[in-house]
Formats: sequence, C-alpha cells, structure tokens
Amino acid sequence: MARVAARVSDWFGAALWGVIQSGSIIVVLIGWELLARSGLFTAFLLPTLSSVLARVVEDAVSGLLFLDLSVTLYRAVLGFAIAAAAGVALGILIARIPSIHWLFDPIVSIGFPMPKVAFLPVFMLWFGVYDLSKVSMIVFNAIFPVIAATVAGTQGVDKHMIWSARSLGAKERDILREIILPAALPQILTGLQVALPTALIVAIVTEIIMGGDGLGASMIRASRYADSPGVFAGIVEIAAAGWLVIKSVEAIRRRLLVWHQETQAVSTV
Amino acid sequence: MTSDGGSGAAAIRVEGVSHRYLPARGKPVLALDHVSLEVREREFLALLGPSGCGKSTLLYLIGGFLPIGEGLIEVGGKRVSEPGPDRGIVFQHFALFPWKTVRENVTYGLAKQGLPRDEQTRRAQEFIDLVKLSGFEDAYPAQLSGGMKQRAALARTLAIDPAILLMDEPFGALDAQTRILMQEELLSIWQRRRKTVVFVTHDVQEAVYLAERVAVMSARPGRIKEIVDTRFSVSGPALFKSPEFVERVDHVWNLVRGEAIAAQGGAA
Amino acid sequence: MTATLWRYTPLLLIFVIWEAGTQTGIISKWALPTFSAVVAAWLSLMQGGELLYHAAASLMRGFAGLGLAIIVGTTLGVLMAWVKPVRLIFNPIVQLFYPMPKSALIPIMILWLGLGHASKIVLIFLGCMLPVTISAFNGARGVEPVLIWSARSLGATRGQVLREIILPAAMPEILAGIRTALALSFVLLVSSELVIAREGLGYLIGWLGDGGVYASMFAVVLTVAGLGFVADRLYLMLMKRSLAWRE
Repeated sequence: MARVAARVSDWFGAALWGVIQSGSIIVVLIGWELLARSGLFTAFLLPTLSSVLARVVEDAVSGLLFLDLSVTLYRAVLGFAIAAAAGVALGILIARIPSIHWLFDPIVSIGFPMPKVAFLPVFMLWFGVYDLSKVSMIVFNAIFPVIAATVAGTQGVDKHMIWSARSLGAKERDILREIILPAALPQILTGLQVALPTALIVAIVTEIIMGGDGLGASMIRASRYADSPGVFAGIVEIAAAGWLVIKSVEAIRRRLLVWHQETQAVSTV
Repeated sequence: MTSDGGSGAAAIRVEGVSHRYLPARGKPVLALDHVSLEVREREFLALLGPSGCGKSTLLYLIGGFLPIGEGLIEVGGKRVSEPGPDRGIVFQHFALFPWKTVRENVTYGLAKQGLPRDEQTRRAQEFIDLVKLSGFEDAYPAQLSGGMKQRAALARTLAIDPAILLMDEPFGALDAQTRILMQEELLSIWQRRRKTVVFVTHDVQEAVYLAERVAVMSARPGRIKEIVDTRFSVSGPALFKSPEFVERVDHVWNLVRGEAIAAQGGAA
Repeated sequence: MTATLWRYTPLLLIFVIWEAGTQTGIISKWALPTFSAVVAAWLSLMQGGELLYHAAASLMRGFAGLGLAIIVGTTLGVLMAWVKPVRLIFNPIVQLFYPMPKSALIPIMILWLGLGHASKIVLIFLGCMLPVTISAFNGARGVEPVLIWSARSLGATRGQVLREIILPAAMPEILAGIRTALALSFVLLVSSELVIAREGLGYLIGWLGDGGVYASMFAVVLTVAGLGFVADRLYLMLMKRSLAWRE
C-alpha cells in the first residue's frame, strides 16, 4: 500500500525505461569514441573505442582471449571452490565445537579485516610464481568471508526450529544437514557472494604482479610494451569476465533460495 | 443508506474519489470506488472496514501522500495536492525517527515552523508532559515500549497543532491493556483540545466507543456503506455496559461482518 | 583480563611455534626468518624512519581516495534512489561497472597518471566508490515511506526530507558499505604499490623482497596487516557509536 505511488509512476516509466536504461551506456561509449578522435588526447593515453574493440575481436579470433580467460577463470574458480568448501566446513566446526571456536576465533577475527594481499611476496617466496602460489593466494583471501558468514549463519539459526525438529524425531546428524545448513544458507551464500569477486580481484592482482599467463598478465605485458589498445582491451575483457561470473552467481542464488522471502519480493529496479 | 452531512461546516470534503494501484504482478486493482464523505469541523469520525477495504488509502489520500487520480479532496476549502502541517498523522507503527530522541522527534515539526529555540523546547516539553512521557525526553525510540512509542508519535503530531488529526490504526500494534489506556487518553486529550479527527480502525468496539460518527466501508472496492451516529448520553468506561452502546456495536458489527466475509471469500 | 588473554592465546601460540620452529631449524630460516629477527628488523626500520615515511605516503593515499569515494558515492547513491533522472542515467553505468574486478584498473591508472600519488588515489577512489554508491542506493531506497510522510506532514520540504530523513535512515547501510570500501582500499593500495611505485608500504615490501631482506620484508608485511586490522576496529567503534540509537 505504501509504495502505491512509486509503482504507478514506475508503470508509466516502464516503456521508456528499457530505452533509457541502455541509453546512458551508449552515450558513454559514443563519448569515448568522440573524445579519442577529437585529438585532445594522444592515442597512447586514450585509444579509440573501435580500435579497442577490434583488439578484443582479434584476441578472440586468435584464441588468445579464450586461453587467457580460461586460465584466469580456472584459477579464480578453483581458489574460490577450495575456499568455499573449506570455509563452510571450518565455519560449522567453529560454530558448533567450543575448542575449535577457541582456537580459530581470534585468528579469523584478525585475519578477516587484514589486507591479505600484503602477503603476496611471502607467497611468492614460499610457493613460487606459478599456479600453486596464485591459487593459494586466492584461497587465503577468499576463505575469510566464507568462514565469518558460515559462523554467523550457523549461530543465528532459530533455536525453536531446532527444538521443533528434535521433537519431530530428528537425530543430531540430521539436524545439521536438514535444519542448520538450509537455515544458514542465505547467510552462507552472502559470504560466498563476497568471496567470489574477491577471488577474481586477487586472481587479476596475482597475474599482474607474478606475470605468466591469464588476463591480468596479458594486460600488464601490454602496458610494459606501451600497447595501450592492449591495456584497454584487457580491461574490457576482465570486466566482461567479472560481469559473467557475478551474474551467474546471482542467478544461482535465486534458484537455491526460492523459499526465501527475498526471492519473493518484487524488485523495482 | 443513512447520509447525514450538512449540519456544521465541513473540515474535509471527499468527492467522487477513486483510487487504483498496481500490484507487484497483474492488473491494476480498484481500491476505492467513487467515495464521497464529509467530515465536520472538530468532529471525531471513525473509518471502519475489513482489511483491504481501502480505509487507510483514503486516509493517505486526505493526507496528500498519494496522488489523487480521480475525484476531489478539499481540506478547509482548499484542494489537497501534497502533505502539510494542517493535517497531522499518526501511523500504526509509530514512524518515529529512530535516530532522534523523544525530545528531538517532538521538536522536529516545531523547528520547521521557525519557532525560536527555547519556544521549541518549551512546547515540546508541554506535549511530552501531556502524553505522560516526562522522564523519557532523552530516550531513543528503540528504548521505549510500544505504548510509549505511540505516545511520543502522538506528542510529535499534536505539538504542531494541526487542525486535523489523521490516525491510521494507531493502537493496532499495541497489546489489549495498553490499547484501552491509550483510547482513554486520546479521548481525554481530544476533549481538552478539540480537533477534527479521522480515525481508521477495523475494531468495531473501538470505533463506536471513540467516534461521534462511524463511516462503515464495504469490502474492496471500498465505498462508504453507511454512516452511523455513535454519540451517547453516557460517557467514560460505564459506556461499555450501557444497553444503547451494546445495541449500536451490534448494529455496526452486523454491517461489517457481511463485508468481512465477502473480503475473506475473495468475492471480488 | 584473564578472559581476554585466554581468548587470544591461540595467536600467541602461532608466534611461539614460529619462533621455536625457526630456531630449531624445523622450518628453514630461508623460508621464514625467526620471529625475533622480524621484531628486530621492525625496530630498526622504525628507528631509521623508513617505515614511518612509507606508511605516511600509503595512509595519505588511502585516506584521500577513500574520503573522495565516500563523499561522491554517498551523494550519488542517495540521489539515485530518490531522483528519477539521476537513477536513469547512473544506474546502468553502476550496474555495468560494479562486477568488474577493480584491480584491472591498475595498469590504466599508471598509464594515465604515472607512478606517484595521483594514480593510487584515483584507483582507490574509483574502486571504492561503487560499493559505497550501491549501499547508499539500497539504504535510501529501503527507507520506510511512513518516515518520509511523517516528516512531510510535519512541514519538511523535499530537500529537507532528503537530508534529514533519508540520509540518516540509510546510514546503517551506508556505514556498512564504507566498511567494505575500507577493506578494499587497503587491497587496492597495497597491490598498486606492489606493482609499481616510488614510495609506500607496498613498494617497501616489494623492494625488500627483491633485495632478499626477508626479515625486514616480513616486518613490513605484518605492519600492513596490523594497520588494516586496526583501521577496521577503529572504524567499527566509530560506527557503533554513531548508530547508538539502534540499541
């Protein structure tokens, strides 16, 4: 009832909405092209949009884009998957077993807000500059939000729900799988949704700093050769990868949480 | 249909007002269908009806919070187009500003009137005392019970001295005991500072007890079904047991019951 | 007191194991200098003034970038929620750039702004602005209409409602968004300084690492980690105080 006014006005705007929505992006892109052609900037500082897109297409045709993209995504997703599995398991143990809670709680509460990229040179020292080093750096960064969210979600499960299950005849083991995990799922997923972009950010950083292959490494190489269309093409490709990953995770979340009220709620924007 | 407008000047005039809203999914719903109503100067009028009949919507339209699609609403002879301090409102869930203390909440509207600082404080205190919240001036809403929150909201609205008091199920979120106390207090305040009151409720007894007239609304789409005079010779708690009160509650209840069943059965 | 000590015993254990492991040679000193050597290196870096010099450079960059991001992000987010044209123009752009891994901007910032302060400040500003914008947008959009209606019927103008009602009501979400941005600012700061810089803690870590001065490198790494942790705790205290009304 309270949002009636907003809804009616949204209804009128709905037709224009679609056009205008993509409109501002188109304006930005056209602005880029015009600015680059105006001669205000050198092609080195701001290559034209068309030359950058041409480079993206070239990378795609030569197969380089596919190679870099798959290497970067492989590292990010592998690191994320390890962080997710280990983080959820550890989070549940921390929330349920007092001695484990004692051991890990201070480590997690200090490790979570700490800028863990600072340890990158340490990881290079220990694990070299190849996949082992990159993936473990990603795990190290992505695991903390997962643990924190799992602990909070598990501890926050309504005890009346657990009592209900128990009085309905559920065993302790069933309660973990059938009650606690599903009830904590929204928060766990939120933790995973923080961890995944983190994994991507760190994957790109490790590639930029350690070199080798992958989108970040190709980009920093282009930057060293003063190949600015290559740098900008790298940004476009990395942004596309990020967009792809995050949108698919949002879709998965909606599928997993059909029962949750957030999925039922109407999204206005 | 009993219609008794006419006697006494109209404080609020609602004429042929219809209102549609667009639900999350589906077609626009007709919430109010050509509603006409006159509220007299300084009278206490209750809007009564089953849930979903549009009684709150009608109140929000009078308040100027929703755009008026069809029809006309006049307050004090002027067409309503936006909210204003001539129409104070009290909501069911209090709507106190949670980051302000009780005193800061009550002072908010006074500051908007451009009163000098010490005058603001003096008036705020006067109304905090009136609703019996002395001692809680510096408490945040989160620290108050439901009844105290509603007193604070009432003080905030009364402090700006609006000619009209709009009340949207103000006691609906309170427990039964607090509710009775608040009803008593509202009546005593109203008897001391007579204002035009439009009081939305779905509680038949509350409506008959508090109001001078009860406008019974039909199930969706909302229309005014009947206006019942509910002034009595007896007053105070003794009223509850008087035969004329019991008879009038019964009459109004029968009017509402049919509508409530219609609303439940999804007869629309 | 004893409770706090007992709580943080596991951390002490880590340092004890570290020292014991490296002293006995179970852990190679080449891979991990002894804890006491790291402490000694830290003290000498402090005495020499290098640590303070580089820390000052880093913190200045972080504060400037984050401060700009907070001001611009909050303003943009609140306006997007309540002024339709602003939303129509900026929402698609925000949605498009939000999922981008912000570290990808590092090479462009170097290309445009060079190796000094500006490239880091702008990087942090751009990277941190979006989380703040989105939290301000969500917070402002979620403000209960009855609060706005109350203020309007108490005589507030539209502009006053924006400043006096919507902004404070959205504050819990905005402050949470800023906390995310604070963590992100450290990540962007350190990684951009590790990539290329002439001063700053990230630069110092890379420089010491390249030179093989591992005890000093560990000392700086732990300093950065500690700074990030302290910044978060200080911010949390500030946040709790300014949200005291929530009880």
